[in-house]
Amino acid sequence: MLESLFTFLFKYEPLVFERGRFVLSASRETWLVVVLGALVGLYALWTYRQLAAVSGRDRAVLLALRVPLLLVALFALLRPTIELPVAVPQQNFVGILLDDSRSMHVTDQGGRARREFVLDQLGRADAPLLTALGKRFQLRVYRFSSSAERLQSTADLAFEGTGTRLGDAFDRARNELAGLPVAGLVLVTDGSDNSERTLDEPVAALKAQAMPVFAVGVGRERMTRDVQVTRVETPRRVLKGTALVLDLVISQTGYAGARVPLVVEDEGRIVSAQDITLPADGESETFKVRLKTMDAGARLFRFRVPVQPNEEVAQNNQRDALIEVYNRREKIIYLEGEPRFEPKFIRQAADGDDNLQVVLLQRTAQATATASDKFLRLGVDGPEELAGGFPATREELFAYRAIILGSVEASAFTPEQQRMIEDFVDVRGGGLLVLGGARSFSEGGWAGTPLADALPVVLDRASRGPEYPPAELVVRPTRAGLSHPATQIAEAEKDLTAKWRDLPTLTSLNPVVQTKPGAHVLLTGTDERGREQVVLAYQRYGRGRALVLPVQDTWMWRMHSKMALEDKTHHTFWQRLARWLVDGVPDRVTVSPTPDRVQKGEPIRLTAEVMDPEYKGINDGRITARVTAPSGKVEDVPMEWSVEHDGEYTARFTPTEDGLYRVSVGGTTRDGKDTTRGTATVRVAPSDAEYFDAAMRAPLLTRIADETEGGYYAAADADRLVDAITYSGKGVTVIDERDLWDMPVVLIALLGLMGGEWLMRRRRGLA
Amino acid sequence: MWTRTGTLLAVAAVVGLAAVATPHAQRGASRAQSQSYSGNVPYDGRFVFVRLSYPWWGGRGAPWAHDWPRGETHFLKIWGEITAAPSHITESSIMSLSDPELFKFPVAYMAEAGFWSLSSDDEARALRAYLQKGGFLIFDDFRNRDWANFEYQMTKVLPDGRWEDLDANHPIFHSFFEINSLDIIPQAYDAGRPMFRGYYQDNDRTKRLMVVAAYNTDISEFWEWSDTGYAPMDVTNEAYKIGINLFMYGITH
Repeated sequence: MLESLFTFLFKYEPLVFERGRFVLSASRETWLVVVLGALVGLYALWTYRQLAAVSGRDRAVLLALRVPLLLVALFALLRPTIELPVAVPQQNFVGILLDDSRSMHVTDQGGRARREFVLDQLGRADAPLLTALGKRFQLRVYRFSSSAERLQSTADLAFEGTGTRLGDAFDRARNELAGLPVAGLVLVTDGSDNSERTLDEPVAALKAQAMPVFAVGVGRERMTRDVQVTRVETPRRVLKGTALVLDLVISQTGYAGARVPLVVEDEGRIVSAQDITLPADGESETFKVRLKTMDAGARLFRFRVPVQPNEEVAQNNQRDALIEVYNRREKIIYLEGEPRFEPKFIRQAADGDDNLQVVLLQRTAQATATASDKFLRLGVDGPEELAGGFPATREELFAYRAIILGSVEASAFTPEQQRMIEDFVDVRGGGLLVLGGARSFSEGGWAGTPLADALPVVLDRASRGPEYPPAELVVRPTRAGLSHPATQIAEAEKDLTAKWRDLPTLTSLNPVVQTKPGAHVLLTGTDERGREQVVLAYQRYGRGRALVLPVQDTWMWRMHSKMALEDKTHHTFWQRLARWLVDGVPDRVTVSPTPDRVQKGEPIRLTAEVMDPEYKGINDGRITARVTAPSGKVEDVPMEWSVEHDGEYTARFTPTEDGLYRVSVGGTTRDGKDTTRGTATVRVAPSDAEYFDAAMRAPLLTRIADETEGGYYAAADADRLVDAITYSGKGVTVIDERDLWDMPVVLIALLGLMGGEWLMRRRRGLA
Repeated sequence: MWTRTGTLLAVAAVVGLAAVATPHAQRGASRAQSQSYSGNVPYDGRFVFVRLSYPWWGGRGAPWAHDWPRGETHFLKIWGEITAAPSHITESSIMSLSDPELFKFPVAYMAEAGFWSLSSDDEARALRAYLQKGGFLIFDDFRNRDWANFEYQMTKVLPDGRWEDLDANHPIFHSFFEINSLDIIPQAYDAGRPMFRGYYQDNDRTKRLMVVAAYNTDISEFWEWSDTGYAPMDVTNEAYKIGINLFMYGITH
């Protein structure tokens, strides 16, 4: 409306004034006339001063009317002109980049899909926008999604692209049009770029080659009715049977407060379902999802919220995640310094888990002058295992995935064994759990040792023995403990609080209170005098993690008379704690594909860490990645030592089939010894990224347009871009001089001012 | 190595026991007919010798109290000397089968199981839960005809349980001392071959024992009189060794 009014008054649309250069084109004769006119004007002013009959106020009004009148006339006489660079018809090229991705199916254009706009305006030979552009420019039409290519016919548009990579599209058009007179690029898209590449570089290149981008934003900037599973964080590898607690972020508009089911499927089988309340419009909320990985192999987990009535985007209601569920017995070495009940019940719990093996070395008698410590070995794989007591070499110790230290004093270990335990966590990346007892923590002389450095709690250096009776602790989870996988003693979240409340008290001889800055406390205990202490805490230490559980009788959660025989709390607690202890502990060869999900034709970078039995990196080895395609085709990809990091090797491969690619990495050391092998799985499938955050991104398109000196247009205003390109000043142009003296606004001003003076004079009797 | 060392230690300790006076002596066997005792050792995480009591209306002392208190008093001295278990050495407890505190002590001992009778179904259920949760019971000091009553009582506790004879290969005979032959087990009575029988969890021989019965012998008899010369020292030593193994197995399995 305003723009139409402007065009009516000023003869040309605002764009002409934006792009053009204002000049006064009066000839010499005209200037002479102007000077004469100015003299006449001065004379007229002088005569006004002689009119004694006119009051001062009237004279001022007359002056206020006459002077602008003269100035307007003067302006018109000077022949004001706009010099406008205009693209020479059919001498310039315009690249048209059409978004061919799946998100163009989103129906948010007043009941019409985004793609319909493209087809209506550009999809036929007689389409209005295409026709308008074609009248003035040579056109080069491209489609883009995950890749960009020249479009021979708009009928080839399928809108099935599984990604949107604006940067690649710009590069393609820029390279193809390089050397040609280009008036601009027309970009028709929803702007849902989901490439990992930033746009800074391709946009700067366009600007350097004087290719302005005229972007047409298709779609709405905000969905009105949509539920989206925005993010879910899952581990890549997990032990079979592990209970996971995952964070899942859901955002929505249009369904605030609605109760909807949140379902998790494992290869199509529902493994978890809960009702959730959707957050406020435009907001996101994180929900905890609990599930168990029951089947081994590369499993595709789907997290979904059913499609709600009238949803604009149905495809973003679910997220897929590939989790490699491995099935083996994780070996934990447990050294207990005295005959007590805790190891017996821990082993009972672990025995109920096919994926845990607790190898117990329990000291039954202490060394005397004539005999060394006497140990009972339970759960060993053969007569040789731990026959010499606690491992004396790194190779022997690092073969385990985790260490549990019971009530055993520091002096039971050599200084080298103490350093080995620290390195087990720091270097090998294993899990360490230190239990409470008469010989644990400060009471066992552990303060100031290398192991104390690894622990998440501060040990009191003052040497003291255990004090009886022990503190009797009411154990409660912290806020972090309520949602931590290691402390999920109930299957359902709603049962957790009551479960913890009903458990019997535990006792502690180790008043551990102070934690280190990086520690996370999951359980606390309060004694009968109200004093609080740590019951379960952990911290990352180097590549691994260290936990403390300074109580001596978690077996009470099994044996106590108030615990029902059927109650599995103790078993559940220990199985989940032990599983978390070994979770993520690296093998000697680890393989990390980046990304772990791609589409056909996209390269994958493989990074492998290859370690020797002491977990020192093997450098300069002959390492190969054996890649097995879904069809069974095998390819050996040599890996190169990265040099910067010990034991790190990299390689790339590009999948050509949809499905699961299995990667196995291994080889030989420089001196010909075989390494162990590590595996990983990569999923090759069409991406569903197009449907996430699918609202039209006007700010991004505006930025691109501004930085390249082009323009941004809503879909409804797309027809305006033809003139905008015409006057962009880019390509082959001519200067078009456009007179402004005959603008309607000049005539209106002249008539208005003259009419005003006439009325004034009539009223005052001066006419 | 440890067998020999342990034996020598046992001998040395037993010799020194003669002058030991314990708080148990003050309780007297006449109180043995009660179900539980206020003088019991409160739980603090350390090992406590728990003797199980059961109702007895007969004359003389209650059978469950046979060898008490000298049996455990002497045994605990040896136990404390030889093992690394943090234990209450100079005191012990007596508990009834229905005492909920029993669940805080997962190993318990009963003497004269031939005279034992369960007082109620609740008691049978409680004992079943104790065993199935992880508790371990040692029955001692009964012979010949006593087995029938004992077996009947245990049928109430574990209706599906099946007794298995144990041989010297069983881990219980290697939990501390290496006992390679059961022929060394002393006979405390006048007839019958000492033997050990057990209940496996789920009747599965690969699982832990929940119950062990030292039948046709009286291990604690040797402990009780070990300071008197009642039995030869080497025989007494074997009784200590088997006792330590039974308790060690109960703690660790």
